[in-house]
Amino acid sequence: MTALPAARAAAAPPEPRRKRRHGGTRLRRRLAPYVFVAPFLAVFLAFSVYPLFFTARLSFTNWRGTGAAEWVGWDNYTYLLSNPAFWSSLGNSAVLWLLIVPVQMVVGVLIAVLLNNAKLKLRGLYRVAFIVPFVTPLVAVAQIWVVLFDGRYGAVNALLGVFGVPEVGWLTTSAWAKPTLALLFLWKTTGFIVIILLSGLQSIDGAIYEAAELDGASKRRQLWSITVPLLRRTIMFAVVLQTLAVFQMFAEPFVVTQGGPYGSTTTAGYYLYNHITRADLGTGAANSFLLVVLVMALSLGFVRLLRAKD
Amino acid sequence: MTTTSAPARRERPRIGSHAFLMLLLAAFLAPVAWALLSAFKPANDIIRSPLTFDPTTFNLDNYTAMLQDVPIGQGFLNTAVVLLLKGAVTMFFAPLAAFAFAKYRFRGQNLAFGAVLITLMLPTIVLIIPLLLEMKTLGWVNTYQALVLPGAVDAFAIFWMRQVISAVPDELLDAARVDGCGEFGIFWRVVVPVIRPGLAGLAVLTIMNIYNDFVWPVVAASSERMATLQVVLSTLAQNITGNRIGADYATVTGELLAASSVALIPLLVLFILLQRHFINGILAGSVKG
Amino acid sequence: MQRHHLRRRALLASAGLAAAAPALAACGPDITSGDDSDESRLLKAPGGDNPEGEITIWDRSGDLFEVFEGVIAEFNAAYPGIKVNHVAVDIDAKLQNTLITGADVPDGVFLDDAKVGGFTDYLWDLSDVLAPYAADIAPQKLDVNTVDGGVYGVPFDLDPGLLFYNATALEAAGIDVAAIETYDDLLQAARDYQAAVPGSAPIHLEQSAFLGQLQLEMYANQLGTSIADADGNLRLDTPEFERILTFLDTVRQEGLGTRAEYLTPTDIAELDNGNQVFYPWAIWFSFAPQQVLTETSGDWRATQLPAWDAGGARSGAMGGSSFVLPRDGANADLAWLFYEFLMFDEAGYTAVWGPGDVYPEGLATSIPSYTPAADPAKPLYGEITALGGQDLWTVATEAGAEIPGGTPTPTWWTGAVDYLGNDVQRMLDGDLTPQEVLAKSSEDIQTNLVDRQ
Repeated sequence: MTALPAARAAAAPPEPRRKRRHGGTRLRRRLAPYVFVAPFLAVFLAFSVYPLFFTARLSFTNWRGTGAAEWVGWDNYTYLLSNPAFWSSLGNSAVLWLLIVPVQMVVGVLIAVLLNNAKLKLRGLYRVAFIVPFVTPLVAVAQIWVVLFDGRYGAVNALLGVFGVPEVGWLTTSAWAKPTLALLFLWKTTGFIVIILLSGLQSIDGAIYEAAELDGASKRRQLWSITVPLLRRTIMFAVVLQTLAVFQMFAEPFVVTQGGPYGSTTTAGYYLYNHITRADLGTGAANSFLLVVLVMALSLGFVRLLRAKD
Repeated sequence: MTTTSAPARRERPRIGSHAFLMLLLAAFLAPVAWALLSAFKPANDIIRSPLTFDPTTFNLDNYTAMLQDVPIGQGFLNTAVVLLLKGAVTMFFAPLAAFAFAKYRFRGQNLAFGAVLITLMLPTIVLIIPLLLEMKTLGWVNTYQALVLPGAVDAFAIFWMRQVISAVPDELLDAARVDGCGEFGIFWRVVVPVIRPGLAGLAVLTIMNIYNDFVWPVVAASSERMATLQVVLSTLAQNITGNRIGADYATVTGELLAASSVALIPLLVLFILLQRHFINGILAGSVKG
Repeated sequence: MQRHHLRRRALLASAGLAAAAPALAACGPDITSGDDSDESRLLKAPGGDNPEGEITIWDRSGDLFEVFEGVIAEFNAAYPGIKVNHVAVDIDAKLQNTLITGADVPDGVFLDDAKVGGFTDYLWDLSDVLAPYAADIAPQKLDVNTVDGGVYGVPFDLDPGLLFYNATALEAAGIDVAAIETYDDLLQAARDYQAAVPGSAPIHLEQSAFLGQLQLEMYANQLGTSIADADGNLRLDTPEFERILTFLDTVRQEGLGTRAEYLTPTDIAELDNGNQVFYPWAIWFSFAPQQVLTETSGDWRATQLPAWDAGGARSGAMGGSSFVLPRDGANADLAWLFYEFLMFDEAGYTAVWGPGDVYPEGLATSIPSYTPAADPAKPLYGEITALGGQDLWTVATEAGAEIPGGTPTPTWWTGAVDYLGNDVQRMLDGDLTPQEVLAKSSEDIQTNLVDRQ
């Protein structure tokens, strides 16, 4: 924020040293940003906008990947919107969001606050350890999960068995598959979120805590009335980031559960993939558009929420 | 850690915090450690007794089987090429675009930044089929272009670098301008050196993202000679998740753990070496309250 | 604050852009082309005495890849001019995308029979080249490869359903397997075994939705029916299917079944510890005693399936694969020569099914679908040690001859797994009755698959 007044001041160009080059410099300065963003925009136009337009057109046809496409109007959209499976795929994503994001924020803030303490022993070790899962390839993680959470031989059930917990069909029952998948996502990404939250904590002025300490505020009190409110923007940023990630989720169910059992881990993204595997590309395209609209609406919603509290 | 005024004042953490962190540490590291160790166990034992580790039975069978069945060398080679090309494109053009967004006011800026946000919001899976058909039209299927160019100037990188560059004082840029520096010169000679920690962080994140990316590569590289490391892993994993008629579950699991270890270790080493830069880099791009 | 405004306006702008997309959708790759006349879809065999060229052949990795790899040398002895580029590919993940893009398309692909129907738009119609052999191919295999009058796969294996059983364990419990003639007899034998071995659950109940549906089709095939007729019309909600599901549901209700996915660790353990002793499955289950089971290898035997009614067919087909030839493949005609050699030439099929490096006793996980090759009198493989030296060839070819035809595979068969396959599993969970499964699946398949073709 502090940079902004300076940015406005900079908008009025400083007195140039050599008047002769004044015009050229100014023109170049006006053109420069366009040149700088051009490569990104070129990639964006070629590999996002163009495919999106194509998807839009495809969504009104019944094309199956070969032969001629037939125009079917809004048929694909009405089919999806009246199909319980479509809504349950959104529901599955929503449940995963609930299982992931709140937990991740609470645990993330706790870890970040602890790691922010310079007197903590092994601080460096913790910071590396928590981010190791983030570095591990998903395909490897998926297979680790499948073996560890096997209902009969899995290490997790073996560990729980020690405490007398009966066998749980982690990946084979629709009740447990979502939490198991959510756990994988939490395990894989929480380290990254912790680092983001740490970055927010670093910008909080230590003097505030000193004042609170003098007023006799307890640690828990400080966490709730100082840290969390001041960290709100960072937390919201993390929430938006993870909301996007959860509603775009495809790779995790693809490698671990293939959407099952009984479609309980068929996320919005995986449901879309189902149409593609059946060569029902028109319906897939319509589903794509609905998903894009949903993700955008969610992002806008969160940004609005973020602004409302400002 | 340049400015850690906040933590400095804190007292020593209590036992409870240590126990909490240690427990989490174990939970975060255990699965990876399990996989690395299990790759040395006889394939059948991995599945039947996942929690026992008997060093006397350790051997390299899974590795030899994997090397024989899986084109992992080709995978490494392709990943290296993509990493170099795509990494270079993102590392140069993303900060450049971010510089424009952070330090200039220009007509169409909102629209252009909207493009960044749209890209962030587009699920990969949405673009798979149209992109694939586009590659077909361009004649790029099974080429490095197809693996490198879509998504080459990463939107998250722009978003993040914009935060980082915003923190560079404008006075610095103006001073350079006064010294007769061109606009690109300002970026190259003033901004880049100042944001070096952020760039280092971006480099680690970019390497990680490209190295671990697999949804698009699986689709775009259908031929074995173009398969990246993750595609190789995914093909191997498919032997388990697909119909396992004629594929021995235990053998494939053993091979997959061996291949995963081989894939993980370079990245893990790189990360441990560069973790300071990565973490400091993200800290440099803090979203300030 | 200005930055917030920027971000918000940018977001709104981006939303506007997305909204404008449909209006601009006129541009995009061409999706309205392709010569679809019937004549251009018929593959012709190449002329000339010594055809030359290179063919790319996709196979699924695993045992069969190794088997086919070993046959290439024999093929080249007959056709020295054709170079075979043989690759192990994750076919499920790659084939569709490759066919859509038309780039680096292989000349021949190994494909599950159940999946052939879904790709026919991209494949050569093989009616012409197969014509000389058609009369000698098992009818069930031609049926599964036939869509709208075209034949889209070179039939590979015939996979008769057999009743695999743990002879040692059953004998110890005093059960006479030879007396099992109907599924009611099987139920009784299972009850008797359970009484003798408390805690056991003798009959396998498949937990994978895909394989469960495949097994369901095996039972249906025995009754001469399948989930859709030759015109693609559903015939699921029928007494035949109700009878099969009721049998499975009885196994579940009486606690006679071991619920597990085919040859996953749990399944293997229950097979090896004698809890699971009856496995009504395709012949490819013989892979288990040969390569997977450690404790009970050698104890297993195969016999014909029970019949639904005394005197009824004692086998039905389950699974199986064929070779398809994509129209975009550069040398599909040469690939046809490859498959013709493998399947219909004595040197070829002997090399495929006979003893080899991968299966020293022969490829005893299937039998040829080409009847002259599947001659009970001329075995390609014989006694299988893992089956206690049983002559599996005779059992399998006799069973193969019992398989009724008239059971085509609809193009949407794989898609039906989400409905029928899942609903059968729900029934085995105890959440649906057989009648509910049939009514619900029929409706779902009709709405989501048949009506959307």
